[in-house]
Amino acid sequence: MTDATKHPQALRLILVDDDHQRAAAVEEDLRQAGFTVLSVIPTGSGLLYQMAQQEPDVVIIALDSPDRDVLESLAIASSHNARPVVMFSESGDQRFITDAISAGVTAYQAEDISPRRVRAAIDVAIAQFSAFNSIKRELDQTRRQLSERKQVEKAKGLLMAVHNVSEDAAFSTLRKLAMNGNKTLGETAADVIAILEKSSRSGAEND
Amino acid sequence: MTDARRLPPAEKNRVNLGYLRLTDSAPVIMARELGLYASYDLDVELQREVSWANLRDKLVTGVIDAGQMLAPLPLSTSLGLGGLRADVITGLALSLNGNAITLSPSLSAAIGALGGDAETSARSTAEALGSWLRARGDSEQLTLASAHSFSCHTFLLQMWLRAGGIDPQRDVRIIVLPPEQMVDSLSRGSIDGFCVGEPWNSIAVQYGVGAVQASGYQIWNNGIEKVLGVLASWHQHYPATHLRLRLALLESCQWLADPANRDEAARILAMPEYLDTPVSQVAPSLTGQFVYSKGRAPVAMPHFHVFGRFQAGFPWRSDGEWLLQQTGALVGKTLSAERIKSLVQQTYRTDLYREAARHLQLPSPSGDYKPANRHGEVWELEPGIELGPDLSL
Repeated sequence: MTDATKHPQALRLILVDDDHQRAAAVEEDLRQAGFTVLSVIPTGSGLLYQMAQQEPDVVIIALDSPDRDVLESLAIASSHNARPVVMFSESGDQRFITDAISAGVTAYQAEDISPRRVRAAIDVAIAQFSAFNSIKRELDQTRRQLSERKQVEKAKGLLMAVHNVSEDAAFSTLRKLAMNGNKTLGETAADVIAILEKSSRSGAEND
Repeated sequence: MTDARRLPPAEKNRVNLGYLRLTDSAPVIMARELGLYASYDLDVELQREVSWANLRDKLVTGVIDAGQMLAPLPLSTSLGLGGLRADVITGLALSLNGNAITLSPSLSAAIGALGGDAETSARSTAEALGSWLRARGDSEQLTLASAHSFSCHTFLLQMWLRAGGIDPQRDVRIIVLPPEQMVDSLSRGSIDGFCVGEPWNSIAVQYGVGAVQASGYQIWNNGIEKVLGVLASWHQHYPATHLRLRLALLESCQWLADPANRDEAARILAMPEYLDTPVSQVAPSLTGQFVYSKGRAPVAMPHFHVFGRFQAGFPWRSDGEWLLQQTGALVGKTLSAERIKSLVQQTYRTDLYREAARHLQLPSPSGDYKPANRHGEVWELEPGIELGPDLSL
């Protein structure tokens, strides 16, 4: 247990994120760091009501959440809105804000809370959001590589069948085409498949 | 159409353009479908955003180059209200009108019983709501939703309420909801009504979860609605790209000005990569056959959305000043007349509109200000400059 949990004034947060897995990870990290997580909710599930009931110090919210317009309306002080909210941009540290936005997360805080205290909470969220982004990137890349490999195999098979050549010869043809066309092996394979399949189709029509 | 080869070359050809799922996104979408971006050597990637805050922050941090914005948004962003602050400018307005106020079926019935009829007058529905509110006394307040704090939706809602003798601050509660959540919230009863752009009013009408009580057209006729926003610094770096973008969009607005093209536009807007809705939900406002409540016959409203007509592309500074006054009043800030004038001059760049109009040989107004609330018919400001009716409630 860290100091912040023992401190009577641990920051009280609401987390808004539609990605359950990521939200759970961020929540866990926030608790570990000693913050009080009041609730974790998906978009469009009554954020205004939650705000009125729980009066959080900070709302951490996925950048893509449509609920951000709702939160920003709370920046306007009115009789319906006792505790105005400001976007976490008051620190004036443009770099930090840009980091948060490129990680896909942002935060709003009660006006009476020091941005310095909020920053630590956002740091936790940025780290977790970035981690999820890189996992997603790796996954996308793996998928792409896998589908490219499949394409290359298919193109090789077609070349072997149509031109009656060995696997090695088919592969070196592909490589040469890629180099000449200044394209990747995957792109070239896709081109070759398109051309060979088209010609075999029109060949069938002519029959 | 201008000869793109005689324009200065674009400093960057690749442009990310943000927009929301709204019927008046038609100019940015049709410019792509008609190949207008390509004709100016621009490779424009359209990015659909879920909220205005999102679009604004992506613009401010450079994730997108340009965005379709609510007309007050460049002003409120330049003031730093609500979120990130940055100098945003507009050299092209994209549309006039396009919003409506929809209330729940029970409230609509109460308004009808008290003589309110939206199809004949928006004042009659506002007055009926006012009488109904006064008669019922101190029961729980009505909650109405606007699509954004600093938007024409908020201002239209306030104007309409005031026309019925209702104090928008004291007598009702106005909250903000993203457009896509409006219909659902109304059907669940968590709000009593909303002011939003299309297709969301028509969707509520078709599902029978609400009836339209006023169109934006009836509250502030030919009011400025969406604009093309870019950062002032982006414009300085890429003036030729910006000019080409404005030209492509101006041509798109001209195409949309022809009623004969609206059916095709509705069909394209409805596609999954754009609004992702049935054509029947986009068509009523876009083709000007608007339905106020379920089961009623369509009412001819050819100017429900105005693109390319009545100098719709011109970012009038008089409109900008009015929007900025309303914005200031909303946050309890009194901005001096000089401050308003200079901020609007920096933000609403009439010079950039004229530059684009010249290339397309389109006439543009010689002044930056126009009178408001004086004309019930189409009128001529100066030779060749035809403007629409400009009455407001």
